[in-house]
Amino acid sequence: MTTLLELKEYIKRFYGKYEVYVTPALKTIMALVMLMMINGSLGFMSRLNNFALVLIVALMCSFLPTGFMIVFGALYILGHMYALAMEAAIVVGCVFLILLLLYFSFSPKDALVVVLLPICFVLKIPYIIPIAVGLLLTPASIASVACGTVVYFIVHVVKESSTSIGSMEAAEIMARIRLVIDNLLNNKEMVVTVVAFSVTVIVVYIIRRLAIVKAWTIAAVAGGIVNAVVLLVGDLAADIDISIIGVILGTIVSVLLAKVVEFFAFNLDYSRTEKVQFEDDEYYYYVKAVPKITVSTPARTVKRINTRHSSGRGNSSRQRVEEYYPEEENYDYFGENEVEDYTDSDPR
Amino acid sequence: MVNEERVILMTRMASYEAGEGKKNIKIGDYFRADYLSKQLLKSLIFSTISFVIGLVLYVLYNFDFLLENIYKIDLLALGKKMLTGYIVLVVVYGLITYIVYAFRYRHARKNLKTYYGNLKKLSSMYSEGR
Repeated sequence: MTTLLELKEYIKRFYGKYEVYVTPALKTIMALVMLMMINGSLGFMSRLNNFALVLIVALMCSFLPTGFMIVFGALYILGHMYALAMEAAIVVGCVFLILLLLYFSFSPKDALVVVLLPICFVLKIPYIIPIAVGLLLTPASIASVACGTVVYFIVHVVKESSTSIGSMEAAEIMARIRLVIDNLLNNKEMVVTVVAFSVTVIVVYIIRRLAIVKAWTIAAVAGGIVNAVVLLVGDLAADIDISIIGVILGTIVSVLLAKVVEFFAFNLDYSRTEKVQFEDDEYYYYVKAVPKITVSTPARTVKRINTRHSSGRGNSSRQRVEEYYPEEENYDYFGENEVEDYTDSDPR
Repeated sequence: MVNEERVILMTRMASYEAGEGKKNIKIGDYFRADYLSKQLLKSLIFSTISFVIGLVLYVLYNFDFLLENIYKIDLLALGKKMLTGYIVLVVVYGLITYIVYAFRYRHARKNLKTYYGNLKKLSSMYSEGR
């Protein structure tokens, strides 16, 4: 555990120092993975498959806001659809427009969720996303989870039916449109998955906010179970063939990954070097604020004379204090010390 | 002389203003009712556009059928059905928007309280310095 904490400290320090380079690099890699997956699964338009173009777009994503990743991804998908059949592009374009409106009205900031979800679907561990969203964000992000899921299934469905779409006569425009819409609407697996993910996000969020010991871990496990149960019940009710073993294995891996997410995100501020400018009557200030790497030094020690064994209120109040002061670095990971820190260093 | 304490406070506030605070300060400019009605108006527009897109897809899907049977269909009943669908969509969308944004408004207000407290502290620092 200690080595892990050291590793975390090291990563934190590294990120604080090189944030200017790390974030664009990560964005580029993600855009690259996303575009290559789109090309790999659709790939109908040979011009878009050109690796140089993929690289240029990915590099553009490095400095543009994350929302542009979604835009480029959508354009790529539509391009491939167009190459397959114009009707597919029209229908999918309409669906994308609706999704875009949904996304913009509720969670315009979490582009990462929309991009990561289809990627995780391909990696067979999509269940990590709703759990992580419940842990890190709010239920409003259900919109982006739904968007990501629908996008994955659209791509999947069109890929599956590409041969039948391609084999139809070009003159049969209406029949083609009907085929695409039929395939999209009859996809019960998509509906079941969206419902399961939404429920999971809400359950994880509610449990995570409870004032109980290890709320994050309990939330992640409960989320995994709820997700699997809803998926399997939906599987039975709607008569679709979701692989039970796949769901269970994926859930287990996802819960383990959620533990990793918790380790890196719980009670930790990846504060970074900030450059700010302001002025008063006398000066202009150009301030570069570099985060201090602090080893936890408790300001006040509270010794408990009567030690409480049960998971009573004492612990939960401590957890609450930790949540209010996420900058403080003295969370008792080992559960042994009775050290509490009530410094009033409100970050703002 | 540069007053260090002041600079620290100002830096913290500036970084808040540049980050999370930007959004919150914008929200804080509105009264609650104004903010919510703006969001509801937006949701009305969004749901209307969504409905129109859905309608277009529906018409495309049933194009042949509609063309053949345009005189046989009970247009009034169809219109009623669509209107009900539209109203349901708008109401549900609006309800969700209301809940989400009422929550966000409350959160932003709470957050801004600390910020305004710091502003007061800063201004008192300045008046002391004089």
